[in-house]
Amino acid sequence: MSEAIVVENLVKKFKDITAVDQVSFQVKQGEIYGLLGPNGAGKTTTIHILTTLLRPTSGKVFVAGYDVVTSPGEVRKRIGIVFQDPSIDNQLTAYDNMYIHGRLYGLSGEELKRKIYQLLDFVDLKPYANKLVRYFSGGMRRRLEIARSLLHEPDILFLDEPTIGLDPQTRVKIWDYIMAIKKEHGMTIFLTTHYMDEADQLCERIAIMDHGQIKAQGTPEQLKSLLGNEIVYVKLDGNTTSPPCIESDYVESCKQVSRDTLQLVVKNAATAMPRIFEAASSKGLKIIEVSYRRPTLNEVFIYLTGRELRDSLEEGGFRPPHRRW
Amino acid sequence: MNGIIPMVYRQIKRFVNARSRLVMTIVQPILWLVFFGLGMSRAFSFPGASVMFGGLSYLSFLASGMVAMTIIVGSFMSGVSVIWDKQFGFLKETLVAPAPRAQIILGRALGDALVINLQAMIILALVYLIAPGLRIEGVVPVVLYGIVLSLGFASLGIALSVRLSSMEGFQMIVNLITQPLLFMSGIFFPLSTMPDWMRIIAYLNPATYAVDGMRYWLTGVSAFNPMEDVALLLVLTAVLLFLGVRSFEKATIED
Repeated sequence: MSEAIVVENLVKKFKDITAVDQVSFQVKQGEIYGLLGPNGAGKTTTIHILTTLLRPTSGKVFVAGYDVVTSPGEVRKRIGIVFQDPSIDNQLTAYDNMYIHGRLYGLSGEELKRKIYQLLDFVDLKPYANKLVRYFSGGMRRRLEIARSLLHEPDILFLDEPTIGLDPQTRVKIWDYIMAIKKEHGMTIFLTTHYMDEADQLCERIAIMDHGQIKAQGTPEQLKSLLGNEIVYVKLDGNTTSPPCIESDYVESCKQVSRDTLQLVVKNAATAMPRIFEAASSKGLKIIEVSYRRPTLNEVFIYLTGRELRDSLEEGGFRPPHRRW
Repeated sequence: MNGIIPMVYRQIKRFVNARSRLVMTIVQPILWLVFFGLGMSRAFSFPGASVMFGGLSYLSFLASGMVAMTIIVGSFMSGVSVIWDKQFGFLKETLVAPAPRAQIILGRALGDALVINLQAMIILALVYLIAPGLRIEGVVPVVLYGIVLSLGFASLGIALSVRLSSMEGFQMIVNLITQPLLFMSGIFFPLSTMPDWMRIIAYLNPATYAVDGMRYWLTGVSAFNPMEDVALLLVLTAVLLFLGVRSFEKATIED
């Protein structure tokens, strides 16, 4: 069996809200697969269905070869999960949290004890084994949860927003652990994130999710190539009320991303730029700033959904990317 | 046993790590016994009053019900505290575990029952001091009744909390359910003095039979046949256990 997860036409409705809408995808054995999307896109709902915590409204879901609806017990034995919200018992020590988990998964005795210390060591928590989790920092708790999810050696590891709310150093550390897990155990890893850099760094394949639907999937490179090779940002004189888009054979797409800024997707920025200047001056437009870069997943997301991949609370205008002159 | 042992372990470890909760659970019965019990025993000191209480002084009557009271309140609260597990996320950990949910929830209830009966033992020791003349050989049967009673009320709490989603209702639910059940169990006044409608509820209350059974072993006085007490307590507890297990098996994280 080469598919670790198979999802076919998955739908999940909460009363009149459709959280997951006709979603289909497959995750291969041993790959890191990422579900990328903004908050509220339906990622966590999807992960809850895949991990047998929610029942799908319709559609088929097979995890590790078993149907999540008809044989949840078989699925549960084979998966490990790190939830988005903490799910450890604060009033117990790190060791006890691990111990209870191990017993719930049928492990016991010396073997369990050895594995607990081995994994606590892996996430650098061994010195804190007998400390109450209540006194742990957010990063320590997340590491403990990762260690716990590996205790029963699952075939598939689910990570729901593994680095949400963590500082940059801790995020990098968590990424290292994830890469190490993949390398050492060859485990299939399914993760959700709303950080593009995270998806780009970690995932071999990505599905972009928005409003409960999968907009596109593929390797990060494939997704970026949806936008052609390079992107040019042109900032025009503020007096132009509504800049007309520059349409030409060398421009693959043109989009107004803010009041005075155009986003042009081109094959080759170096040759396209002089022609963009020409086209602008022939239309009587004054260019005051130009920048270009290779597409990022953020631009792929904008291209696919028409809006930015970041929290709606995080207000702010469009920021042109680096490499400007 | 994959689910039972770790959950018993968890509940006991949690108790050991948060011993201050011990104080909370045993304070309430002590307050009742001292302030209510000593006061009321004066009010019921007129000649012939003890007939109402099967020949017992009011203090002995009340004292013999205090162990049950500790257990009812404590177990119900621990059952309802599944809401806290929901809030703090640990519930998800148990819901995705492959161990059978029935075992997980039985383990949880059993762990709580052991912890609460330990607390009840402290109350029992105090009861022997405050109300003289209680039978010392009653200790073992009282503990056995106590564990069964505790399983029942913990299950009832679990069944309710699986359906509840907010923490706000926690204290209200605890009071709204435990207070009437305490008054309709024969702890404070005998069933024979209750209005008819109240007595009907008391007959359906498993606590009634635990209180009566415990009272029998502690004082030799009881309203029912002790064998009937055991049988009815077991039957009603089984019903509550069934409800608790069923609601937990169906639990999702939908709300």
